[in-house]
Amino acid sequence: MFDDAIVNKTANDPVSVANAEQAEPTAPIPDAHPQTGYSEKTGSYDLRAIAIAITGWILPGFGHALLKMWGRAVTIFLAVGFLVYLGAGLRGNLFAPGGDDAFARLGYAADLGTGSFYFIARSLEGSGPDVSHADGDYGTRFLATAGVLNLLAALHAYEAARRRKA
Amino acid sequence: MVPLHLSHFQLLLLFAVIISLAFGTLGRRDPLERLKYAAWSLAMFVLVAISLGWLMYPFSR
Repeated sequence: MFDDAIVNKTANDPVSVANAEQAEPTAPIPDAHPQTGYSEKTGSYDLRAIAIAITGWILPGFGHALLKMWGRAVTIFLAVGFLVYLGAGLRGNLFAPGGDDAFARLGYAADLGTGSFYFIARSLEGSGPDVSHADGDYGTRFLATAGVLNLLAALHAYEAARRRKA
Repeated sequence: MVPLHLSHFQLLLLFAVIISLAFGTLGRRDPLERLKYAAWSLAMFVLVAISLGWLMYPFSR
């Protein structure tokens, strides 16, 4: 939107048009996107975004903190942390690797989404899970939701790092 | 760690509040818009959960 306004303003300005005609032609930059600054040759922009997403996954909110989105960073950290704390306090089932069925493997993938908080939840659950009551069942959902929420936040940080609308 | 014992409705509210705040923060940029979106999400979470609960009530026994 703003780029279009600048182009139109320049096109209507006679001084700018004259200067543009006198200016020497510059060599085109084939591997650079003018709007995003992303370099296809190096792929550095993508690598940085991937690194930010991975750090955001390992430590919830850290990806946004690297992008200086402090409000989002703190909110994600607290939301995921509180969900993990509640899930462990309710003695939810924290799935382990090598599950027997697809549900257990999917649950493990969701739990692993909390990154380092997975191990914190494991250490908090000293007496193990108890899903014989509704509380434990709720806890299992809280833990899985924490993981999925953190994965969503990591994806959001990735998109923000790529300067897409986020 | 002390095990938590909360009622179903308390857990529903806690879940809805946390997720709504996260959705509002991630989904919107403007603080007022975030608050509005979080409030809307919270209301929908609670409303839909209670509605579904009542819808399932005839089949609960």
